[in-house]
Amino acid sequence: MDSSEYLDLLIKALLLAGVYAAMAVGMTVIYGVMKIVNLAHAGFLMLGAYFVMELFQRFHIDPILGAVIALPVFFLFGMLVHWLLVRWLPKSDTPTLASLLLMFGFWLVLQNAAYLIWGNDDQSILTPLTLSSVQIGEISIPKVNLVVFAAAVICMVILQVVFNRTWFGRSMRALIQNPYAAKIVGVDDERTSRLTFGLGTAFAGFAGGLLGMLFSFSPDFGRQFLLRSFVIIVLGGLDSVSGVALGAIVLALVETFGILKLPASYSPALSFALLVIVLVILPKGLTSLFNKKWKAA
Amino acid sequence: MKRPQSLGGWLKVVLPWVLLAALLLLPAASPSDNLIRLLFVTAVWTTTSLGWNLLGGMAGQVSFGFAVFFGLGAYTTALLMHAGHSPYFGFIGGGAVAVLASFLIGLPTFRLRGPYFVIATIGVTEAVRVIMNNVDITGGASGYRIIEDKPFNPLEHYYTAIAAVAFAVLVSTLIANSKFGIALRAIKQDEDAAADLGVNPYTSKLWVHAIAAALTGIAGGIYARRAAFFYPGDVFAFQTGITILLMPVIGGIGTVWGAVLGGIVIGMVEEQLVVKFPNLHLMIYGALLIVIILLEPDGLLGLLRRLFRLFRRKREDSGSPDAEQVLWGRGGVEGRKL
Repeated sequence: MDSSEYLDLLIKALLLAGVYAAMAVGMTVIYGVMKIVNLAHAGFLMLGAYFVMELFQRFHIDPILGAVIALPVFFLFGMLVHWLLVRWLPKSDTPTLASLLLMFGFWLVLQNAAYLIWGNDDQSILTPLTLSSVQIGEISIPKVNLVVFAAAVICMVILQVVFNRTWFGRSMRALIQNPYAAKIVGVDDERTSRLTFGLGTAFAGFAGGLLGMLFSFSPDFGRQFLLRSFVIIVLGGLDSVSGVALGAIVLALVETFGILKLPASYSPALSFALLVIVLVILPKGLTSLFNKKWKAA
Repeated sequence: MKRPQSLGGWLKVVLPWVLLAALLLLPAASPSDNLIRLLFVTAVWTTTSLGWNLLGGMAGQVSFGFAVFFGLGAYTTALLMHAGHSPYFGFIGGGAVAVLASFLIGLPTFRLRGPYFVIATIGVTEAVRVIMNNVDITGGASGYRIIEDKPFNPLEHYYTAIAAVAFAVLVSTLIANSKFGIALRAIKQDEDAAADLGVNPYTSKLWVHAIAAALTGIAGGIYARRAAFFYPGDVFAFQTGITILLMPVIGGIGTVWGAVLGGIVIGMVEEQLVVKFPNLHLMIYGALLIVIILLEPDGLLGLLRRLFRLFRRKREDSGSPDAEQVLWGRGGVEGRKL
């Protein structure tokens, strides 16, 4: 294997990392603010993919535009789910049995509703972009990966701005840092939770649409990405948005270069091994490494 | 042991023995082969349900990965039988391998606070299934066949399964009434407070996980011996883990008899549901899960208790809610920390 092939893999890994980050970030904000491990995330990802597919097939809306349309639609859907189910859960600063089982039950409902509607055939979204590629020297990059990467990165940047510059973002960060102090200074816990759940769901739907352009999907689509999202947010330290980007890059690199040594079917085992290694060595995530250094300095 | 004070208390003591006697004597009434098979399946599921309940119900640690123990039990039993050992030795071996696997999952994850354990359990099923699909000595994805040199005897399988479920009930009851059981419930309610009182949450969780894994591994072995053919996509399916989790939650999480009730319901109903609603049955479970968590966290057992209480209040207005709680113990998932 020569260096251009390594470069090729490196570029593919980084492009994949963009989508992975968009996929995991929704789960991270929900965990950060509400301390709920959103198992229904897998269901939202899958619904996002089907949503974009339906828009594309019925109304011939470009899948990228479809994924952007998914943002507000899934935002409202997430708020509805929060209003119907999630807000009744007892509040806690660690994940409760009830929250895990509730979100899991909701995932089962979503998944099997999708089986009823779309059957269990594998679907894919094929656009003219899918099969064309950009040639740079010896390296060819599929256009669809580039477009998807760009969309994911733009959305992440917008999220970062919302997170850092708006009142809502500030209440979210306050709740993540210290829920009690946040409530004392007047953060509306209920409202912020509802908006956060909407935001997390919106990003899940958006990322699901992007993933649907890259991979084929069935109603069981989200499950393989659920574990990956977990690995990413554990790598990122569970509730930091910038940690997510780092975690996504690490996972994408490990997966892409893992294929050199292991058959591709081993990739779930690879993510699991990565998870266990991180838990043993760096339980607070990769970002803790830098934080420690800063503190020491 | 305290003498039961009320009708309900007496029922609680007598009913299990009546049930056990009925199950043991049942073959004398020459029931249909299908009934024996159904009861066998129910007993195997109930054993796993009791195992999950020890970890999830008593210690409050949700695991989606019990399929791993079930499958490892199945494969270990099969391999040991293939090597010429007795199936009963195989079941014990299956339990032992499951215990080892439980340590591998528990050692890195129980040390940490937060959702790490539950996250790991979702991953481990996928990882193990992928590996087992590619392992040559077990035939990989095409599965493994157990060959026994004697005629198929459904009653022997039936009695093994009944023995396993009786053993699981015994273990669960002993743990529930022991200091260890109290420690587990303390961990579920408040880990810090439990640690302050001298409970070591880490080792307690590790051990209860091991016991639960052993029961599930044994059940897996018993299942495999009767099924005689199985493959990773079956015993290591994420679905298997889901079914094991659903039983105690539906029946009444945290109580021994809730887990049994859930096992009976799923064991008896599952097949019919799968046949009648092949795509819908998981959706029904999902909806049931949501309804149970939001409306009746104590599951079917809680519902029964509520009916029983209603009935009693009409007859004689005795007993405060506190007394009820002491009498029945508390189950439920409301506000329990992970």
